[in-house]
Amino acid sequence: MRTFLWGLFLVLLSQNLLAAGLAERVQEVRLENGLTVLLLERRDFPTVSAYITFRVGSANEGLENQGVAHLLEHMLFKGTQLLGTTDYAAEKPLLDKIEQLGSRIDSLKNDPRADLKVLADLRDQLTEVQAQHKHYVVKDEFSRIYAENGGVGYNAFTSKDQTTYLISLPANKLELWAAIESDRLKNAVLREFYVEREVVREERRRSYESSPSGLLYEALIASAFTVHPYRHPIIGWDSDIENLSLREARDFFEAYYRPANMIVTLVGDFDSPAVLQLIRRYFGSLPPGKEVPRVIAREPQQRAEKRVKIRFDAEPSLMIAYHKPTMPTRDDYCADLLTDILAGNKSSRLYRKLVIEQQLAGSIDIFGAPGSRYPNLLVVSATPLFPHTTGEVEAAIYAEFARIATELVSDEELSRARKRLITDNLRSLRSNGGLARLLSNYAAVGNWRYLVDYEEQISRITAADLRAFAKRYLVATNRTVVQLQREVQ
Amino acid sequence: MRIIWCIFAILVLGACSLPQAAAPVRPDQLQFEPLVFEFPQVQRARLSNGIEVYLKEDQDLPLIELTALIGGGSIFDPAEKTGLSQLFAESLATGGAGDYTPRQFEEKLANMAVDMRVNSDTYAYTLGMSLHQRDLRESFALLALLLRQPRFDAERVDLACKRLIEGVRRQNDNPDALASRLMAKAIYEDHPLGRSASQLSLKNIDRDDLLALHRTYFQPQNLSIAVSGAIKLDKLTRLLQELLGSWPNGVMPDLSPPQLVKKPQKGEVFVAVKDIPQTTIMLGQPGIEKNNPDAMALRVANFILGGGGFNSRMMREIRSNRGLAYSVYSYFKVGYRLPELFMASCETACSSTLEVISLMRAQMQELIDNPVSEEELRVAKESLINSFVFAFNDSHSIVTRRQRLDFYTYPADYLQTYREKISAVTVTDVQRVATKYLHPDLLQIVLVGRGEEFENEVPATLGLPTQRVELGIE
Repeated sequence: MRTFLWGLFLVLLSQNLLAAGLAERVQEVRLENGLTVLLLERRDFPTVSAYITFRVGSANEGLENQGVAHLLEHMLFKGTQLLGTTDYAAEKPLLDKIEQLGSRIDSLKNDPRADLKVLADLRDQLTEVQAQHKHYVVKDEFSRIYAENGGVGYNAFTSKDQTTYLISLPANKLELWAAIESDRLKNAVLREFYVEREVVREERRRSYESSPSGLLYEALIASAFTVHPYRHPIIGWDSDIENLSLREARDFFEAYYRPANMIVTLVGDFDSPAVLQLIRRYFGSLPPGKEVPRVIAREPQQRAEKRVKIRFDAEPSLMIAYHKPTMPTRDDYCADLLTDILAGNKSSRLYRKLVIEQQLAGSIDIFGAPGSRYPNLLVVSATPLFPHTTGEVEAAIYAEFARIATELVSDEELSRARKRLITDNLRSLRSNGGLARLLSNYAAVGNWRYLVDYEEQISRITAADLRAFAKRYLVATNRTVVQLQREVQ
Repeated sequence: MRIIWCIFAILVLGACSLPQAAAPVRPDQLQFEPLVFEFPQVQRARLSNGIEVYLKEDQDLPLIELTALIGGGSIFDPAEKTGLSQLFAESLATGGAGDYTPRQFEEKLANMAVDMRVNSDTYAYTLGMSLHQRDLRESFALLALLLRQPRFDAERVDLACKRLIEGVRRQNDNPDALASRLMAKAIYEDHPLGRSASQLSLKNIDRDDLLALHRTYFQPQNLSIAVSGAIKLDKLTRLLQELLGSWPNGVMPDLSPPQLVKKPQKGEVFVAVKDIPQTTIMLGQPGIEKNNPDAMALRVANFILGGGGFNSRMMREIRSNRGLAYSVYSYFKVGYRLPELFMASCETACSSTLEVISLMRAQMQELIDNPVSEEELRVAKESLINSFVFAFNDSHSIVTRRQRLDFYTYPADYLQTYREKISAVTVTDVQRVATKYLHPDLLQIVLVGRGEEFENEVPATLGLPTQRVELGIE
């Protein structure tokens, strides 16, 4: 149950799927209720990777419920009316009582005029009812059932654009997955909410507030966007998390976790017709629901460089972000190729210049972030090599960008980058899990067939396109720079 | 696999005969056909000079993966040159080979989109390569050059050293890495397992040390090569024989590690101050090595304690019941040649630091004091047994696992008997090994966070002496 930085994963895939005979092997079926099913049989090992993805993520939240997509993802591991309880009917009144007390506490705790004695009393009552409720809870039953049946990698992740629930199982246990996951969608019970909210606050402290790279990344995204909801952290700010309500979680679940927004992806050792019947049987009765509305907020053009310095007890590091269009635009393919030409390997331009020749930087990396459905960012991440500074590294990066904007890259560099992208794509197909992830991922933000014509698309990009991209996007007024260091003047 | 089709056919028929309004069936009451599973076969060959070759052929994609494993590693770093093996690995990977300068070598790899990595582990070096099958000959030729004639270009060695020094400068940036380093030092002290490179120890290393290390360890009898992907065994061995067959053997290096001196255990708390809102907690004590007859019982016991994710007691008590952490776990790192550590780790808000340590220790004590339930034991054992099939889920891990088991001289039937051994573990075994190996009062405890807010209460709350660790980057 992790928040995921999707950027790195959304950059790639290819025609070599075709070459490898895989594209024809993906079977796409739409059930009557709108559920999208992607199946790919691979009979080498007796296992199956199963992904369920919803086309909804933190970008679909509003100001009042930021962080709810991720918190809901946690809550959906708490069981159903069937699992996770000794007796749902007896448990239900206590759940209602807990919600009632919890929401009163939440409304009072932010009110400076609230009577502290009343608040303390409510908290005691809540603790008391939670203790009573505990007698009905069967802890982590999904997890227990999957584990004893040999499931591995039982997890979920939330991104800006989507939320995914995944597991890999021995091939003979696929019906178990269908039974558990359909039960979760039909009968979810969001129990132990107020405790889980604290877990998410700990997750936030761990992944962002105590981690220099997490903190830097969060500051970068929050600074780069002014209007688009991509600016909010997936996990939410601390004050968001501690005020999220059960009602908000439930509403989000009921509105969006529906077949109209849902993609089931299975890769592994199974027989497709039989599996389709299984899926129909377990998921076919879900009501279709409505599609998640598109985010209408549009990021206005940036007109000046944004610059942020943050203080943290760590050696200096740097991230620079440039706004750019997202897939499947021609510009996005340009960004893929430039990423490789600039920082894909030890022979790439920035690595060669900054790390090997000038020895200004210890590391340099480029990736796309923070989501893929809406216009996003090309992010450069670097650390200076002592005694050099982030300022020197920055200047050297801009010098290389200026070269890209004025001189054409060589045919050799371009064809090398194409080859690298295509081969890396092949590598990501090796495991069932990797393949399931790619298919569900692309299906969620667009269409998985994006993968199929990828090679053709990048073969059409010319050196002049790359130069035009650099001229247009890799400019000072379009960038956000965040530096992390011990002391900030 | 026909049997899968049969399973689904039966279930679908069952579904048709069920009325729509039937009482819901609990998923854990479903019945399943047994999984048909055969141990995947790894092909083997030996080159004329003794190089062991392993292959798991896999024609699904036009890719080939290779892992060369060479005995050696950080366990043999001299104290005053700690970091030698790391610098060696980095310089080997970047220093060029044969007639190729570093830049030419890198260009060649880049032109073929070959991925190449060199790692230094405790007892071995590994050289990994991932390539497209069309580049087989040229990539393997580069690999052979790197193994036999690395250049260790002086400027690149210098750069590699600077970058490792930068790593030392950054070693306190992330609390978990910092805590792990302090833990190793607390337990192993000046043994190689406890040391970490310093700016000084890295500066003590020169290019001649790298050349000498290469001469000592890089030779055919100390090398094995595991390959998976789109290639046949006869083609693979012919090519490797051609490229590496003429490589002569020297004196086989001594791979026995420096002895560990057993010291009396005593509980201690080390506090490293860092201004972050969450404390990283790490508990550690000496653990076991692979030949320990209790290894399987400990695996089961640790699953129940903190290794089984949401099915473990630590996770249940600290995260799920109390919301005090996002991540909490424990493990026994089974040492290949020397006993390694038992570790348990967690992060929690500064204010709950001592409460969480007490809860973690209480879970250890509980496993000692009381037998686990038959149900807990069953879940742990079935999980370990039924997920075993995933050890064979991809070709390269199948072949490198075989390579590793041989290198560390595991019994030939280790994999074949794994499930039986797990299955044989009893409630009594779990309590016995918990009592023997877990010592909650003798733990080394490392805490990274706002120490000033809790360190004064440590002795009274935990009953252990406490000291501050000064963090340096020397």
